[in-house]
Amino acid sequence: MTGWGQGWLVARREIRERSRTRGFRVSLVLMVVVVVALVALPGLFRSGDTTKTVGVVGTTPLTFTQLLVAQGDAADTGIEVYGFDALPTGQEALRDHQVDVLVVNTRTLQWRDKTDPSLQTLITTAIHVSVVQQRAAAAGIDSATTAELLAPVPVSNTAIGAVAGRSAGDATAAALMTMALMAAIVIYGNLVLTGVVEEKSTRVVEVLLARVPARALLAGKVVGIGLLGFFQLAVTALAAFVASIPGDSVDLPAVSGGVLAWVVAWFLLGYALYAMMYGALGSLASRTEDAQNVAGPVSYVMIAGYWASLFAISQDPEGLWSRLLSLFPATAPLAMPGRIALGATTWWEPLVAVALILAAIAGLVMVAGRVYGNAILHSGATLKLRDAWRASQGSARGATSTQVEKVTQMLSTPQASRILAVAAIVLGVLTSVVIFALTRDVVWSLVPLLLTIGAVRGLRHRAGRHG
Amino acid sequence: MLRFEGAVKHFGALTALDGCTFVARPGRLTGFLGPNGAGKTTAMRAVFGLVTLDAGTVTWRGDPIRAAGRSRFGYMPEERGLYPRMHVREQLLYLGELCGRPAADVGRVADRWLEQLGLSSRADARVDELSHGNQQRVQLIAALVNQPDVLVLDEPFAGLDPLAMDAMGGLLEELATTGVTVLFSSHQLDLVEDLCHDVVILDHGRVVLAGELEELRAASTQRVVDIRFRGREPRWGELRHVQVRESSDGHVRLSVDRAQHLQALLAQLHGSDEVVSFSYQPPTLSDLFTRAVAS
Repeated sequence: MTGWGQGWLVARREIRERSRTRGFRVSLVLMVVVVVALVALPGLFRSGDTTKTVGVVGTTPLTFTQLLVAQGDAADTGIEVYGFDALPTGQEALRDHQVDVLVVNTRTLQWRDKTDPSLQTLITTAIHVSVVQQRAAAAGIDSATTAELLAPVPVSNTAIGAVAGRSAGDATAAALMTMALMAAIVIYGNLVLTGVVEEKSTRVVEVLLARVPARALLAGKVVGIGLLGFFQLAVTALAAFVASIPGDSVDLPAVSGGVLAWVVAWFLLGYALYAMMYGALGSLASRTEDAQNVAGPVSYVMIAGYWASLFAISQDPEGLWSRLLSLFPATAPLAMPGRIALGATTWWEPLVAVALILAAIAGLVMVAGRVYGNAILHSGATLKLRDAWRASQGSARGATSTQVEKVTQMLSTPQASRILAVAAIVLGVLTSVVIFALTRDVVWSLVPLLLTIGAVRGLRHRAGRHG
Repeated sequence: MLRFEGAVKHFGALTALDGCTFVARPGRLTGFLGPNGAGKTTAMRAVFGLVTLDAGTVTWRGDPIRAAGRSRFGYMPEERGLYPRMHVREQLLYLGELCGRPAADVGRVADRWLEQLGLSSRADARVDELSHGNQQRVQLIAALVNQPDVLVLDEPFAGLDPLAMDAMGGLLEELATTGVTVLFSSHQLDLVEDLCHDVVILDHGRVVLAGELEELRAASTQRVVDIRFRGREPRWGELRHVQVRESSDGHVRLSVDRAQHLQALLAQLHGSDEVVSFSYQPPTLSDLFTRAVAS
């Protein structure tokens, strides 16, 4: 049998075994539910909230109600007016949420708590017009002429966002898509990592390698888990697309079929890149408890790349840093989809980025295949990356240290992982501060900080539980 | 036949195989012996391409072994391992199909072995739900599920209870009678002596003794003489080519050169009151092993 055929058998086992786990099924349903909720719910809330109720008490010009409804029509806002005999009755209705505002003697607006600026504008305009009509009538100007002169002028509001053709909502949607992409790459990349280490620690790998070349085993595993991730993300993207169809009120060009297809494609590219790294590094560890230490540097690089991309794109999706990050293979999967969603790329940029990352993946397949093949049958202490590259199985004693080896070694000690964890959190804090400075949005600026703390705690918890 | 020809393998400064040459023949059990670190596991791994030789070849029926040719090879590594959470039968099917066998064939063979080893009722259990002994049985079936022509087993008897050892021995003999080439390593020399037609003794990566066990014993220049007697002890020291290896009251074990005439030995016995028993035998495998590895 060819290596291809065997690789497919390996992939099929991964798909079959993993799709049976409860974790996979739960996360599949959960992700669809969350995405549909995010896309569809804002539209539903907005459409149900466009009729305002106005209470009126005291002296009121005869034309006021009519004028107010006309103003509302011009602003696409339904207005219902209720008259009250006395101020206390009107205030009680206001407190009981029966009316949104109480107009007293057409001179005072009473609100329950906050003022509603758009409603306030409609009412004050109606008051102005009614008063001007009274004064005009007193000055002998015929009322039809005044009505014509003072006919409501519709003025609409539009947020144009940072990029032409995209709204502020699109920026949020792009950020959420990038977050989902990052999560999918981390989750499925880690499945490759733990899968490789599991095969090594349970020793089943020697049984397998007596039948399958090491490269076919690694490739089959990466492909199988990748297809599972592709399936989950494609289902989620499809759900987002379907959910966005009926929502006329949610105008999000970023959540279009083309952009969603790009997101799924970038998942495959990013996953392939990182899964190869995880697979090669996983083969260095002999025990599950060493897996996170060995792969830690990759995870930290990915988290740092993610925050850098998020920051650069929120600042200027067409800026130099955004462009560089979206072309560099390690960060391209985290930066390019966001820029595509915002329509901030030229036509050739995604193509160049794809070519670059494909080249990087091809190189990594060779490196990872060699490291994996050399390290996977080595038992005992965790191997060093450089030894695994050079050795043909077994120990390569007498190999001198190099910078690469020293760095890899340094990054896998508990101290180093603590330092890196602190560095990641500091980075998260800085990102939060910068985003707040730029957007003045408390909720969004807290997201990076909370996510960093969550990620670091998760990684350290997993490493610590076994260690 | 499976032939090692001048196999050499270095791990850094360590030499695991140092010009290792021997054969394992179809229809015969070949015991692969040697002290720890002699290179047995490295040699066995080389059959499956798990170790790339620095020099020399491993051939099957005269041709170098390629990946495709290994589809009819079975291997049980010293470090046992299966997917703990996978179901027994599914795992066997997977491992069989990986050898390039059609799924239907693999299923039939797996079911037959599961039944023969009394595991039919556990076919749908997870491997980690099985007892240690049953896991060992599944591991063995994993090596057999592709109907191998060549079976390589690294320490198949390690960790087995006496009953399981008997069963395993019987099974290997049965496989050999169907024409399978069986090569297995072991430290249990008495067991190998009972089971094997051929032995290969490895030391420091080199074959120090190899061949048919009975021939090796017969070809040895040594003979072991055990005598029980009553009365005065004969004076063995007057004979050349005789060493006294054990001597206690009424029993003596001599190591005798094959060149020594039996008559002269018997003549020495005249002095004693009564000879209770007398045996003259070629050396045991244990004797051969000790001499071969010590020299």
